[in-house]
Amino acid sequence: MELLAVFLSVLVRGVGIGSTYALLAVGFVIIYRATDVVNFAQPALMILGAYFTALYVHNAGVPFPLAVLAAMGTMALIGALTERVALRPMVGEPPFSAAMVTVGVFFALFILSFRLIGSNPISTGEPWGFERIIVGDLQFRQVDIARTLISLGAIGLTGLFLQRSKVGLAMRATAMDQETSLAQGVNVGRMFGLSWAISGALAALAGVMISAGSGGTVPLDAFIALKALPVIILGGLDSIKGSVVAGLIIGVAEATALSFNSTLTPTVGENVYLVVPYLIMMLALMVRPYGLYGTPEVQRV
Amino acid sequence: MSKLTSWRRHAATLSVVALVLAACGNGEDVDEPDAPDDDEEVVDDEPDDVDDEADDAEEEDAAPEEIETGLGITEEPCPEEVNPDNGCIYLGILSDLSEGPFAPLGVEVVAGQEDFWKRVNEDGGIAGQFDVNVTEYTRDTFYDPQTHSSEYRSIEPNILALAQTLGTPPTEAILPDMDIDNVVGLPAGWWSGQQFRDQDQGLILDSGYSYCMEAHLGLDYVADEVMDFDSVFVVGFPGDYGGDFNAGAEAWAEATGAEHLGFAETGTNALVGNQDAAVGAVLESGADVVGLAVGPAEAAEIVGGAVAEGFEGQFIGAVPTWNPGIMDSPAAPALEAAFLHIGSWEPFDGDSDAHAAMQEALDGEMPNNDGYTFGWIWSYPLLTGLQDAAANGDLTREGLRAATDEMVVDYEGALPDRDFSLDGDEGAPRVATVNRPNSEVDSLLETIATDYTGETADAFDYTEPCIIP
Repeated sequence: MELLAVFLSVLVRGVGIGSTYALLAVGFVIIYRATDVVNFAQPALMILGAYFTALYVHNAGVPFPLAVLAAMGTMALIGALTERVALRPMVGEPPFSAAMVTVGVFFALFILSFRLIGSNPISTGEPWGFERIIVGDLQFRQVDIARTLISLGAIGLTGLFLQRSKVGLAMRATAMDQETSLAQGVNVGRMFGLSWAISGALAALAGVMISAGSGGTVPLDAFIALKALPVIILGGLDSIKGSVVAGLIIGVAEATALSFNSTLTPTVGENVYLVVPYLIMMLALMVRPYGLYGTPEVQRV
Repeated sequence: MSKLTSWRRHAATLSVVALVLAACGNGEDVDEPDAPDDDEEVVDDEPDDVDDEADDAEEEDAAPEEIETGLGITEEPCPEEVNPDNGCIYLGILSDLSEGPFAPLGVEVVAGQEDFWKRVNEDGGIAGQFDVNVTEYTRDTFYDPQTHSSEYRSIEPNILALAQTLGTPPTEAILPDMDIDNVVGLPAGWWSGQQFRDQDQGLILDSGYSYCMEAHLGLDYVADEVMDFDSVFVVGFPGDYGGDFNAGAEAWAEATGAEHLGFAETGTNALVGNQDAAVGAVLESGADVVGLAVGPAEAAEIVGGAVAEGFEGQFIGAVPTWNPGIMDSPAAPALEAAFLHIGSWEPFDGDSDAHAAMQEALDGEMPNNDGYTFGWIWSYPLLTGLQDAAANGDLTREGLRAATDEMVVDYEGALPDRDFSLDGDEGAPRVATVNRPNSEVDSLLETIATDYTGETADAFDYTEPCIIP
């Protein structure tokens, strides 16, 4: 029974944090599919999302769920504006150049987050905190359940939008072939902007999920978003499904390693669980370089 | 090479960099330095003959009319011209002001120091002949030793001393140069090594206890006033902060016969993601008392998480574990119930003359965090050094360094007077304030003990740094 309790506890915790990693990864994937650019500004979008949620809750008195939606809307707008101002002029340039622009955007937004957040940690006013759900002899953190349901729900809605809506179809067409889409009347520029908007909104939600159950959020927490990199490598750079599966794998692997942290410490040193996602990433690169669900490359010789 | 392969390589490279940073776990943030200031002022090496017109500085009567000056002092008034007839002493600040891990604190420390020196200038300046400027040569070094070093080199020809050098690793990086240049400086940190001349060559003018002594004092207080206990555990950042605090806890346990159950190293959330491992380590340790030497958000998460999981002991936190922002977090009830904050001095709303002065400087407003108080109180040794050097007629770097070796600093009641001619065991402060988070008070931190000193802290044989990072 005790073993089962430990297993379930690790599983719930791992799925919770893994879902958030997946949410972050989907933001990367959507922009990559649409524009062939890896968006290194995603961490800054994430932390600004947490900031705007806190702002709406504490300064405007907006209830938490509405504040989250408002923050997602704000970050969608900022994402779309960023694409229009900083990335659109890069159309036709090599993707690497555009990626360097996103690095610049990251630093600009990161500095902005320092200015906005100021000297003290912020809290989003989330309702879960450190509360527990007790099921018989088992205890689970509410925040893990919330992360799982909300993150996977948001990814599901995004997937549904891309699969079922006309705009989603246009986005997918753009992702497959920009010139052909243009010839078919798709406003490719608008699709680029939309992909950044969706990515910004998802990043904002991820920021709220990351800051939930913590003692406060500071701008440097943006770097937590780098955990999405092993996820997109494992899942495949261009696969939303891959992001979800890889996020869950990495979340559970990390939680499992964490549960054995004290046992492993004398042998391999402190906090070895931190390197587990990157070990998995390296393994994936060696065995399946295009990821679990990524598009295999065909090179003409 | 195909586009997709290229991207995978870039992403993989970035991931590996993140991996290395996570593995190193030193909390440092590496970035490019700002461009050096190209329009630095010409330095006047000649003795200053500025008229002595200010009449309300305490030391004026004792100051000779001719004061020898050197690098970092000009005959021209400071840019802000509080006393237009005074010359200007330029002090440098090397702090973490934007992207580094201690930026929230660094910004407020600088604010406190600026107001401290503004008050000095409004009172007539140094010996009634010199105002002090701490804004012209303030540089953001991101808590990065390399940037710290290059920025020090860029401002060094223009400053008399450093009004702030934030962080032990960055300060250690410039200490040999400071020694050669005869530049004394105020630290922004409490590593025990800064209280020993063989470690800092007497250049670092620290105030208050060390993290090592802080652990002694905190544990003494819990044993005296809160509960009997048999075991202690520490969670902290590695190195000069958490490592020093842990060394103090270990020494305390050895002296009292309590069991030191271990030290769990953690990092900022930016490095480790969250504090789940630290919470797990606390619970697994089964300790009665847990010492925390981490950041404020990390401390709140550990306390909140552990209490929610059933931890019933007592937490004590080092000075940097506190920030009023954490009382907005879900951890607030747990902090109020199970956390004591140990401080070198009272928080901003304290009762000393020094506190009254800083409260007046902010016109009754609260600072964003207590970094402001730190910046203010840390500045007293340099003020005393400048006053003593001026009284000796020698405001050169060499004169200032010699003066600080012998000075007795009056902290206007914020701390007991300190004789800087005494090293380590004899000179190290062994008093603390103890504070409890309280959402009912303005500062959110209620002081429950001042000038506290404990039996074990008093008896500690403090003859060398508790840890060499």
